[in-house]
Amino acid sequence: MALLTDRLPGAASPPLLTGRTGPAAVGGDAFDSGMWPSHRQEFLGDPAAWRNDPAVTVLAPPAAEDSSHVPFLIDATAVAQPIRRIVVTIDYSPFPKAIVFRPGRALPLLGFGVKYEVGGALRASAETGAETGAGEWLVGAAYVSALGGGCSAPAAAHHRPDWQQGFGELRARLWPETGRLRLRLRHPQDTGLADGIPAHHLTELALLDAAGAEIAALELHEPLEENPALTFLLPPDLARGPVAIRARDNLGYAFAGRVEGAP
Amino acid sequence: MSLSRRALLAGAAVLTLPLPIFAQPRRYGLQPIEVADGIWMIEGRREVFTRENGGDIVNVALLATDQGALVVDSGSTAAMGAEIRAFADQRLGGLVATINTHHHPDHWFGNAPLADRPVLALAATSATCREYAQDYAETLYAILGSWISGTRTMPATGEVEAGPRAIGGRTLRMIPLAGHTAADLAILDEATGVLVAGDLVFLDRAPSLPDADFATWLAALDRLEGLGPAGVVPGHGRFHRAGEGIAQTRAYLRATRDRLAMAADLGLTPIEAMAAGPVPEFAGLGANPEEYLRSVVRRFGDHETLALPVVGGA
Repeated sequence: MALLTDRLPGAASPPLLTGRTGPAAVGGDAFDSGMWPSHRQEFLGDPAAWRNDPAVTVLAPPAAEDSSHVPFLIDATAVAQPIRRIVVTIDYSPFPKAIVFRPGRALPLLGFGVKYEVGGALRASAETGAETGAGEWLVGAAYVSALGGGCSAPAAAHHRPDWQQGFGELRARLWPETGRLRLRLRHPQDTGLADGIPAHHLTELALLDAAGAEIAALELHEPLEENPALTFLLPPDLARGPVAIRARDNLGYAFAGRVEGAP
Repeated sequence: MSLSRRALLAGAAVLTLPLPIFAQPRRYGLQPIEVADGIWMIEGRREVFTRENGGDIVNVALLATDQGALVVDSGSTAAMGAEIRAFADQRLGGLVATINTHHHPDHWFGNAPLADRPVLALAATSATCREYAQDYAETLYAILGSWISGTRTMPATGEVEAGPRAIGGRTLRMIPLAGHTAADLAILDEATGVLVAGDLVFLDRAPSLPDADFATWLAALDRLEGLGPAGVVPGHGRFHRAGEGIAQTRAYLRATRDRLAMAADLGLTPIEAMAAGPVPEFAGLGANPEEYLRSVVRRFGDHETLALPVVGGA
């Protein structure tokens, strides 16, 4: 089990958040309905072979407490085949495509937060197989009710006169014993929808090993939350560290940092 | 002539038909109880906002004075405020003033039916009410539906200052604190020793932490305990005479803070911290696990800042 929920004393059993399939995963309608056929065509290349699969677990709270920060965890470590990429889409969002995750040498687990404009499902579509077009798409989803406004509101940073202070600050830590890497990057993640504030958001982030070779990579889009926090899961050899973190945004800023593992 | 008479009769007949339920004005049936001499309390349900409870989730205090009732916190909707007003008018000789203890909407969205008399709050509270009125209104209209019809947001216009204040023959001590939010007012009634604690004290209802600062809140609880109140009207939960509300709120804050800090230090995602649920001792409190889930979303980042060192930048 890739999840660490049981690490907390007296963890609820069963856990308060569990993966769902079928209509329960997308808010009650048929899994193959709403914006999904269109998103499947546009963002997955209209594959013939796809199915809702419980091995792709998407966890989220049932309701968004804060539409600007809706946390998710995708766990596809139960998928037997190799996973080329996981495409994260939001059913009802002005920017439906949120993230493309290429796990590479990391495990297919990703924690992140997104902005929600209106209640709906977030879907994680995992493309299996070693070669493009060779596999099939396994899809998981979680529905979140939200009152919205997360994408069209200005970033909280703009309420402060000193919003640029601390911009780009990268915090991170590697836990070799569990393989977890968690990072947080100070970034306004402006979508461009708020009046008078141009789009300014991350476009890519990668983890590199000690030799500079890529471990895993993310393609990032507007819905990613302000000051995004991300969780990766590394196999034991890579979790010993060090791991370098590299990121870029749409205005050309570059961000870099490095976490050490076991001493 | 006869035609209009027939029309009138037809109209009268229509009026005798039962109205559909949604067209009837919503009534909460609030039940004020006299918990100490001249101090009345309306206890809200120990729940989060839902369409079923209509926002009847908050405690309201009415302090009888020579000039009418002093209302402390006005509820979540205009309809709640109107029921509070009716009780003050019918039983307590009218209304002298209203005080809002802090900016959360269940404590001031009922102001409008009380606003022909002074409505007071800490200056910082009124400012925050004005800032978030629109956001709160949109959220509550979506959750509460018709319960909140006709509710206009009317933040306090008068200011409460620290120290003693005599109102209608009753001497009150105004105690500005913080921790539940950036500005929380507690009020001690000198005659009875009853403390109207606002949301600094919860009992058997999970404390609400979206705007909380743990250390500041814990310090505020120490202050309140030092007053040695003879009774406490908590913001949510039952009236009590011993110090159990302060003790339980303190224990909940410490345990929840420690749980979130541990989760961040172990490298959990907020989703895993949520899935683990509240500290087991407090899992059965009213409004849990909903309040715990909210706490993770709002407070996890504070603990993560401590757990994750700076490793790079732009």
